[in-house]
Amino acid sequence: MTHPPAPTYVELHCHSCFSLLDGASTPEALAAQAAAAGMPALALTDHDAVYSAPRFIRAAREHGLRPILGAELTLSGGHHLTLLVKNQAGWHNLCYLISRARHIMPKGEAKLAPEELLGCTNGLIALSGCRRGEIATALRRDDRQGALAAARRYRDLFGSDNFWIELQRHLVPGEAQLANRLVALATYLQLGYVATNNVHYARPAGHRLQDILVCIRHLTTLDAIPPGVGPRRFNSEYYLKTAAQMAALFPDHPQALANSVRLAERCQFELDYGLQDLPHFPTPHGMSSGAYLRRLCEEGLSQRYQGADQKPARRQLIHELNIIEQAGLANYFLIVWDIVRQARSQGIRCQGRGSAANSLVAYLLHISPIDPLVHDLVFERFLSAERQVVPDIDIDFDAQRREEVIQYIYQTYGAEHTAMACTFVTFRARSALRDIGKALNLPPETLAAAARALENEAHTPAPGDAQRDTLLSLLELCQQIEGFPRHLGIHSGGMIITGPPLMGRVPTEPATMPDRVVVQWDKEGLEDAGLVKIDILGLRMLSAVTEAADLVAEQTGSDPELDALTFDDPAVFEMIGQADTVGVFQVESRAQAQMLPRLKPRSFNDLVVAISLIRPGPIQGNMVHPYLRRRLNLEPITYAHPLLEPALSETLGVILFQEQVLKVARDLAGFTAGQGEQLRRALGSKRATTAIEALQADFLAGARARGVPQEVAAAVFDQLRAFGGYSFAKSHAAAFTVLVYQSAWLKRYHLAPFYTALLNNQPMGFWTPAVLVNEARRRDLTVLPVDVTASQAVCTVTGESSIRLGFNYVKGLRQEHVQRILNERSDPFISLADFYRRVRPGRQAAENLIRSGAFDGWGVPRRQLLWELGTLHPQEGELALEFQTETAELPPLTPTEAMLGEQEVLGLSTGEHIMAFYRSRLAERGILGSAGLERAGNGQRVQVAGLVVVHQSPPTAKGHHFITLEDEDGLMNIIIRPRVFDRYRRVLREHRLLLFGGVVQRAGEVISLLARQVAPLQQ
Amino acid sequence: MTRLWSMGESITVEETALANRAPRRFHWQAQTHQVLEVTQTWRVDVDWWRTRIWRTYFKLSTDTGLLVIIYQDLIDQQWYLQRLYD
Repeated sequence: MTHPPAPTYVELHCHSCFSLLDGASTPEALAAQAAAAGMPALALTDHDAVYSAPRFIRAAREHGLRPILGAELTLSGGHHLTLLVKNQAGWHNLCYLISRARHIMPKGEAKLAPEELLGCTNGLIALSGCRRGEIATALRRDDRQGALAAARRYRDLFGSDNFWIELQRHLVPGEAQLANRLVALATYLQLGYVATNNVHYARPAGHRLQDILVCIRHLTTLDAIPPGVGPRRFNSEYYLKTAAQMAALFPDHPQALANSVRLAERCQFELDYGLQDLPHFPTPHGMSSGAYLRRLCEEGLSQRYQGADQKPARRQLIHELNIIEQAGLANYFLIVWDIVRQARSQGIRCQGRGSAANSLVAYLLHISPIDPLVHDLVFERFLSAERQVVPDIDIDFDAQRREEVIQYIYQTYGAEHTAMACTFVTFRARSALRDIGKALNLPPETLAAAARALENEAHTPAPGDAQRDTLLSLLELCQQIEGFPRHLGIHSGGMIITGPPLMGRVPTEPATMPDRVVVQWDKEGLEDAGLVKIDILGLRMLSAVTEAADLVAEQTGSDPELDALTFDDPAVFEMIGQADTVGVFQVESRAQAQMLPRLKPRSFNDLVVAISLIRPGPIQGNMVHPYLRRRLNLEPITYAHPLLEPALSETLGVILFQEQVLKVARDLAGFTAGQGEQLRRALGSKRATTAIEALQADFLAGARARGVPQEVAAAVFDQLRAFGGYSFAKSHAAAFTVLVYQSAWLKRYHLAPFYTALLNNQPMGFWTPAVLVNEARRRDLTVLPVDVTASQAVCTVTGESSIRLGFNYVKGLRQEHVQRILNERSDPFISLADFYRRVRPGRQAAENLIRSGAFDGWGVPRRQLLWELGTLHPQEGELALEFQTETAELPPLTPTEAMLGEQEVLGLSTGEHIMAFYRSRLAERGILGSAGLERAGNGQRVQVAGLVVVHQSPPTAKGHHFITLEDEDGLMNIIIRPRVFDRYRRVLREHRLLLFGGVVQRAGEVISLLARQVAPLQQ
Repeated sequence: MTRLWSMGESITVEETALANRAPRRFHWQAQTHQVLEVTQTWRVDVDWWRTRIWRTYFKLSTDTGLLVIIYQDLIDQQWYLQRLYD
C-alpha cells in the first residue's frame, strides 16, 4: 500500500508582535514554531512595517529556516494587501511603499492609495489579503463585479504570475462560501490561489494575549467588544499551523498548499547592506577619501604633537589609516569629522565618546579629546583588520544645541537621505499590569494585589483563595507581554545617512516631533543590517560647562580656555579626594562620595579609574575592594603570571578595562589585537559558546608556546570570562574624564558660574536643584530668590559669590509671561494689580510668583498678596484705574509655611533649610545633625534626623538600601540592611523627614550610620 | 420555529469524520440519526477570562429529517444538541 505524499506548506502571512498591539508572538517564537512544524521557510508580514526584519532573519537562520520578508500593506478603504519580497528590487519597492503609506498619515498609521502601487511592484509578489482584502470585502457583500475589477487591477499591477488569491480558513461562519467564491474568481481570471493562515500567534494559547492587545489598542475592555465583531476574533485558530493541520482545512484545494511552497521558493532575497550606502563626502580637487583623510591627519599630527617626538604617533597613524582604508571607512571618518568641525565653528561644544577614543585618527581629527598613545589605548578595540564591521562613533554635543547639529546634517545630506534610528517602547511588567487589568476590567483592589504579587512572589494568593486564578492568569499575561513593543520612539541620537534615498533602503515614518523622520529599525536592527549609524547625542553637562565658561568670561573678562587645562592641578584633585563633588560630572553620586576619600585620585588616570570603578560591572565582579585595598597598600599587588604585569599594572593587577582583555591575550597568548577584540566580544556575548571554546583552545595553545603553565593560562582565561560580561571601555572613561576634570575645575575656581550653569541645565546629574542650592549656600554662595524686579529668564550670576534664581524655576510661568515681565518692568510695577494688568500671567502663575517670594521686595506679606490676587478681575487692555477693594487683616505666613510654599512652586527654597526649624528641639533630645555625626566616634550609638534627598536600592547591593539625609549643614549617609528595611518599609516610603537610630561607621574620612530604628520626625 | 437548548442537550456521537471530526452518526432521544450533510462548521473560543467556551459547531441534516446545530465541547470532549429547526 502506498501512502499519499505528506502535504508541505509554508506560511506566507504571519504577524509578529511587531504588528504593534496585534501580533502576540515574538519573531523568535514564530521561527521556532515554524521550524518545529517542519517548514523550510517562513514569511513575516507585519502591518505596514518591517520593524523586526533583522531580528526575524537572525531567528529564522538560527532555526534553519529561510526568512521571507514582506508586509501587509494597508490601502485606502482600510483594505489589506499581502506583499512578499522576491528580490532586491522588491525590497526597494516594499520599503518605498511602506514609507509612502506612513508619510501621508499621522504617526502610527498608514494608508496607501492603490494607484500609488503603479511602477512600484517589480520584485514583489502580492497576495489578495485576509477577509479585509479588497476582493474578499467585495465578495462578502456580494459585489462580484467590484471583486473582479479589483482583481484585474492587481493582476495588471503585479502581473498574473505575481498576484495570487489568498484563501484562509479559521472555522468562522461564512468562510466556506467566501473561499468558494474566491476560487471561482481565481479560476475565471486564470489566477493562482494559495492558502495562508493570517497568523497572529505561534501557538493557540496566544489568542488570549492577542485579545488583550486588541483591547489595549482600542482602549477598551474584553466585555465591550463581542468576539467576531470588529477587531476581536471569534476563536483561537490564528496560530502557526502545520502542513497536516492546513491540509485538513483545505481537503478540497491541496493545490493551495502546494502553491505556498512554490511561492516561497521564488522569494530568494537576502538583506545585505554595507558601506556603499554612505554618501560620498566631497573632497577637494577630486582627491580620494583616503588621500584626503591622510592629509587631514597629517595636519592634525603636526598641530597635536607640535614640539614633541612625532615618530610613535606617525607609526600608529600609518597603522590606523591602513586598516581604515582596507575597511573602506575613510569616507565615514570624513563625514564625522565634518559634523564635528561644523559644530565647533558654531561654538557648539562636543567630543567623541566610547570606543572611538581608542583611535589616533579620531584624536587628530578632533573628534575625540583623548590621545590614545598617552593613555595606552588599543585601536583594535575600535576597529581591526580581523573584524570587518562598521564601528560606532558616538559624539556628545551641548544638549541645548544638538538640534542645530541635526539640522546641519539634514541640510547637508538632504531630508531624503537622513533619518533617526527608532526605538521600541516596550511593555514592562508593571505598566503591562495596568494595561491588561484595564482590558480585563479588573477592580483596583485586584490590580493592587497583582502588583504586590509581581513585586514579591510571597504575596501570590494561596491555593483556595478566591482571587488566585484571576491573579495567576493576569501575572502569566504580564510575563508574556513583557518586552513586547508598545509603540515607536525616537533614538536619542542615532542618525542614519545614506547615499541613495533612504526610503528605498529601509522604510521610514514620521516621528512625534514635527518634520522628524525615523527609520523602521532600532539600533540593534541597524547593526544587524550593517547600516552605518552616527550617534549625535545631547549631553547636558557639555551645555553646563559651556555656559559656566561663558559666565566666567563675562565675570572676569577672559575666556577660561577649558580645552587648554592640563589635568594636573593639585587643588582640583584635593577637592575631588574630599568628595566635595556635588555637581561634578560622573563623580558626584553617593557611591562615588563613599569611594573618593579612599581612592584619593591624584592624576587624570586615577579619575579614569574612579569613574570606571563605580559601575555595575566592577561592583558585581567584586573588583572595587581588591583595587582599593591594593591602592591603600592593604594587600600586595600580585599577578597570576609575570607576563601580565605590563597589561595590568595600571590597575594594580585587577582587570578593569575592556582594553586589558586585548592586552592580556596579546601578552600571555600571543593574540593579535584583532583576535583579542574577537575574544572580548565573544566573552561579552551570551550566545557565543562555540566561539569561546575555539578561542579558549587558541589561548591555551598560545600561552603554552610562551611557556606559561597550563593551569595559570586556564585560570587567567576563566578570569577573563568572568570579567567579559560587564566590562567597560577605558577609552570611554577617558573621554568622560576630560569633562570630569573641567567641571571639577570650574567648581574649584568659579563656584557661582558653576552652580548657575548647573541650575540652568536641569534635569541632569545625581542631585536635585534643591540639594544643589543648599550645597551652594553651604559653600558661602548667596542664592537670591526669584524677584520680579531683578530676576532674568534663567538663573544669573550677580556677584563673585551670589546667584539669582531665574523665572525658569517658577512653575506655570510661560515664556511669554517672562518676556512681558522683562519688557514691562523698565516702568516699575507699583502694585499687584498693576503687575497683573500689564503682564497678564493668569491666576495660577501669579499665585506661584507670590508664593515663590517674587514680590517680597515690596514688603507686603505674601498672604496679603494672595488675598489681593483673589480680588482682581482685570481684562486685557483695561485702563490702569485703582478701585477701592475690600481688605482683610491676615496673619503673615509662618516661616515653615513660606518655605513649603516655595518648595511647591520652585522645587526648592532659598530660605532656611527645613531642618533648621527643628534644630533646637532636636538638640534638646540629643539628636544629631550632619555636623554632629561628623564628630561622632566609630561604633557610637546615635540618633540623627534629616530630610531624605536620595533613596537608592541598587540591584548590586543585595537588598541593602542607601539613604542620603540632608540638613542645613550637609549630607549624611544612612545604610539600611534588608531586615531593617522590611520592618520600616512603610515609614521609609511615606515620610521624607526621618529620624534614624543606629551605629556610626567610620572608614577613613567616610562616615555612615548603620540604621537600626527609623521613625517619622514629628512636627 | 426552532427549539433552543441554551445549556445544550447531551447527545452521543457514534462516529466522526477523520479529517475535521464532523459527526457522521449520533444518538438522541433513543434514536440513531445518520448525518446526510454538514452545511456549516465553525469554532468559538471565547470568555477565556471567565469560564472558557471552546466549541466546534456543526450545522447538519440527518436521514431522520432533522436540521440541527450540534457542538462538541472541546474542554470536556462531550457532544451537545444546541438547536433544532422544525
